[in-house]
Amino acid sequence: MIRFLFVALILVSNSIFSILEIEILKGSDNLSKIAFVPFGVDDGIEESYGRQISRNIEKNMLLFGEFENLPKSEMLSYPSSGNDFYYRDWKVLGVDYSVIGKVNSVNSLGNLNISYSLFNINRRIKLLEGEIVGSEDNIEGISKIISNRIYEEITGLKGIFDTKLAYVINSDADTYQMCISDIDGKNEQILFSSKAPIMSPDWSPDRKKMAYVSFENGLAEIFIQDLQSGERNSIQALGMTNSAPVWSPDGKSLALVVSFSGNPDIFLYSINSKRLIRLTNHYGIDTEPSWSPDSKKIIFTSDRSGSPQLYEINTQSKRKKRLTRDGNYNARGRYFPDGKSIFFVHGNNGNFQIATKKLSSRYIETLTSTSLDESPTISPNGNIIIYATKDGSNGYLGGITLDGKSRFSLPVKNGSVREPAWSPLLN
Amino acid sequence: MNKALTSLNTFFLVLLFLSLIFSIFSIPKLNIDKTQSIRVNFYELIQEEDILFDSSFPKTTVKKETKKTSATDEKIKAAEAAIVSKFKINKLDIKNEISKIKLSKEREDILRVSAIIQARISSIWIKPNSLSESLIAKVSINLAPSGELLNFDLIEPSINSSFNNSILTAMNKMTFFEEVLSLDRKLFEQNFRNFNLVFKSSGEIE
Repeated sequence: MIRFLFVALILVSNSIFSILEIEILKGSDNLSKIAFVPFGVDDGIEESYGRQISRNIEKNMLLFGEFENLPKSEMLSYPSSGNDFYYRDWKVLGVDYSVIGKVNSVNSLGNLNISYSLFNINRRIKLLEGEIVGSEDNIEGISKIISNRIYEEITGLKGIFDTKLAYVINSDADTYQMCISDIDGKNEQILFSSKAPIMSPDWSPDRKKMAYVSFENGLAEIFIQDLQSGERNSIQALGMTNSAPVWSPDGKSLALVVSFSGNPDIFLYSINSKRLIRLTNHYGIDTEPSWSPDSKKIIFTSDRSGSPQLYEINTQSKRKKRLTRDGNYNARGRYFPDGKSIFFVHGNNGNFQIATKKLSSRYIETLTSTSLDESPTISPNGNIIIYATKDGSNGYLGGITLDGKSRFSLPVKNGSVREPAWSPLLN
Repeated sequence: MNKALTSLNTFFLVLLFLSLIFSIFSIPKLNIDKTQSIRVNFYELIQEEDILFDSSFPKTTVKKETKKTSATDEKIKAAEAAIVSKFKINKLDIKNEISKIKLSKEREDILRVSAIIQARISSIWIKPNSLSESLIAKVSINLAPSGELLNFDLIEPSINSSFNNSILTAMNKMTFFEEVLSLDRKLFEQNFRNFNLVFKSSGEIE
């Protein structure tokens, strides 16, 4: 009897005090579907302005394969304001979000006044409403600002459509070019050309300068180039060779590799005082430093254990910690913008792929499926990694979103592209 | 003579005890695991249970001699009492086992429906990417017996608004949870009238 009562009590207590909880860990592999409705224009304004802006926004948002679009031919209407917007017209088409807008006016100086809105169709709410004024000569720039706001509203991550990419093009055996372009490959500029190799470009946090390595004088030298004036200066009087410069988050110093007698070690170099502070001192090769976002630590590659592995050093205490143990090749480590994870090149059976690792975890996760990946760089919002890879002998830039849903390659350049470096966000 | 009768009685009592034990163990195996429970015909089992514990069912197994000495009566009574007490324990065991089977069947139904709901929500939830951030949000669900989603509420939002928004967007795509229609009404009321969905950004929560 007692046992019966006990069982009954458990049942009753279960039904009274606990509530069923179902865990949802896995999300859908589908992409959010967005309708980019052609922007309307007010009376007397060229229709092409509206179409151009919505087309640019659409291109931006689809650039990294994170969203799916609704073809214009399937749209039931082209609303340009909230008054003529009906959720059911979009719900029936399986749309998750709709972007609408209108060019309201153009003043005598050629400045456009544009209003735009973003709707969440499933929740039946307007997520975003904004207005922007910009020159008719800068429709691309205006579109990028609107795209950033929409992207941020949908994903919760900073928009990156006005960021830039630096890379090195090796157009033939004797020509190396240091280039920068918009993230979509447009507006390419050549910063510096040389007959000798150029490598390891790194943006200053204010996006005004670039540090890189050039072999133009026969040895590896570090140069800092002002992007506006084009003026370039080498960092003088270091060791025999100097390489792998990386700006500190405050822009006041560089972490770099100096080799005084053929043994590379990690140093800090103060831009103002030109003082050099040694961080590592080991007979093994220490190279490829990179700062943690809080400036307290530096990740670097070292073969001190017999194979290239990633280590972390505290810049104050100089205490070191080994970060990777899987496989016999882990190199070119970088921190995620939140500092909680790292990404790097992981070698396994002759394949070199981009991998990630949470610093709190023992396990690594391989992201890419190509086999000769190198020089990964991450978007400033921490969501996309671009890396150099090869198709035969031709190098190109591949990319992947961190959820693995989208893999893409950037537009092919005239020559092999290597050493990508994603710029910081504009402040 | 008396001795002979006593021996005979004892023999019958032992026989009776053995037959009882045999009858108990001839019931379909009750102490079963989850997989076995699927194979058991639950309806037949309940009927057998009713027969076993039905007071009107002739208890032919216990026969009393009409003429006995008081000493023998006492012995018999004591033996009977022992058997009955043993039998009672077995009855309890059986009932417990049947309760266990019922619970196991209910648990299976709950798990089955929960798994379908889990898969459906997963198929419509477009989870924002958050590699390093471990987030949890809880949504309470209120269903009608028809499976219609009457109400949902983000009762424990995460600290990340886009994570919360993605959950609300997914929940707004749901109108019906048809899978609960296959459930016994009592089970629905106990478990699925109100339940929670716990959304996690990753399997590993720090």
